[in-house]
Amino acid sequence: MIELKNVSKYFRTNQGRKYILKDVSITLPDGNIGILGRNGAGKSTLMRMLGRIEFPTQGSITSKNSFSWPLGLGGGFVGNMTGKANVKFVCRLYGKNAKEINEIIAYVRDFSELGEYFDMPIKTYSSGMKGRLSFGLSLAFDFDYMLIDETLSVGDARFKVKAKEALRKKIESCHILLVSHDMKTLQELCQTGLLVHDGELHYYEDINEAIESYNTINKTGKL
Amino acid sequence: MQIRKPYQIFFAVNKALFLRELNMRMSVGKAGLFWTFFEPFAQIAIFVLIRVAIMGSQGASSSYNFAIFMAVGFIAFNMFKNILSSATGAFTANKGLFAYKQVKPIDTIVARVLVEMFITGIIILMFLFVGFLLQYDLKPENLLMIAAGYLWLVVFSFAVGLVVGIGNTFYLSIGKFVGIFSFMLLIFSAVFFPLESIPPEAQEILLYNPLVHFMEMIHANYIYELDDRFVDYIYMLKWTITPLFIGMWLYVRLEKKIISL
Repeated sequence: MIELKNVSKYFRTNQGRKYILKDVSITLPDGNIGILGRNGAGKSTLMRMLGRIEFPTQGSITSKNSFSWPLGLGGGFVGNMTGKANVKFVCRLYGKNAKEINEIIAYVRDFSELGEYFDMPIKTYSSGMKGRLSFGLSLAFDFDYMLIDETLSVGDARFKVKAKEALRKKIESCHILLVSHDMKTLQELCQTGLLVHDGELHYYEDINEAIESYNTINKTGKL
Repeated sequence: MQIRKPYQIFFAVNKALFLRELNMRMSVGKAGLFWTFFEPFAQIAIFVLIRVAIMGSQGASSSYNFAIFMAVGFIAFNMFKNILSSATGAFTANKGLFAYKQVKPIDTIVARVLVEMFITGIIILMFLFVGFLLQYDLKPENLLMIAAGYLWLVVFSFAVGLVVGIGNTFYLSIGKFVGIFSFMLLIFSAVFFPLESIPPEAQEILLYNPLVHFMEMIHANYIYELDDRFVDYIYMLKWTITPLFIGMWLYVRLEKKIISL
């Protein structure tokens, strides 16, 4: 359960305040939630706020659940360090002991299919390889919620299938918050939907309703 | 996922960051690593030569070993300078890490301070070894007070570094300004000379610089011929506590802003 209480979030721009959320109060029941909205509506910001690495300007967001880091950001990797060293670093952040770290390293090495690149500096990776590493890494941890920001499209076609399959399996033991423009993926993985539009937050118990509303916005510009 | 206590998270995060910073330092290649440790030797050798060149035989014939005097102060000053400069860039350089919500910005500064302490420790050991090979008389007057001086200097550097690091996050010029300033400080911090060797008017001015007190404290406790008559411990304390409080206050107010940069 995630509780939003009088949450407002805005950015200051030259034209004054640009509201992402305006005095939103809502309680989201646990589930796999797809987040929709037009470009720039604030989907990613909302997700980062739920993951507590961005904060509302006013109000509060509370939840007893644990959240992953927003998946697919390569920002936490050090270019000069090997893939393995980077995986180790994240394990240590989560307080894993030596045995657990070795297990996670073995799992990520196997899943990401990087071969000998796993022991080479990240700066030699292509962006697809980085995506594979970060995706494999996030699957190795147990969170209540995984935050996924349009990164299911990493790697080649074969890896995409594998990634989706692994994610589907993972969802059995945890929930996801998924930001995506791909309606098919949303329908496949999520049951409920959140629509961000004009500073308002709409919750739909059925993802298909959310997608319908989203299409309406895209056609007419309003809900 | 099991719930960890705040101190457990703090220790886990700082251990991870410490090892990561160290790994980054080590991965610069053999040449980079060599210079990390060789640079202070080269610098001190040059300064000793300059001093001998300027002061001639007078400089060379002081009653204590001038190379030791230089090394003790210069290592401490270098530590201050390195902590300050690595703290200055800590938030901006580690922006990507704030995606992991257990990494708080201050952790990145703490980890960098620990790394600088670690490297300084290795440099001290290397100097002791070289001094031992050269058969210098390395016995300090008061080892505990030197250790206290170094640790106090770490706290002082951390406090100043925190303030500058926060400032630099929002106004990039602050970091540049401090970079230039800390280079100038080398000349005005009594690293190369004991304060008693310069005219009283100059002493008075230099004593406003808190680093002078640290240098005098460390020099006085290593070398038998020097004493700490110029050191004002209360003044040092004021210079430690004030930036520490300003830094903490700014940090508490701005932490969220720094995270969501």
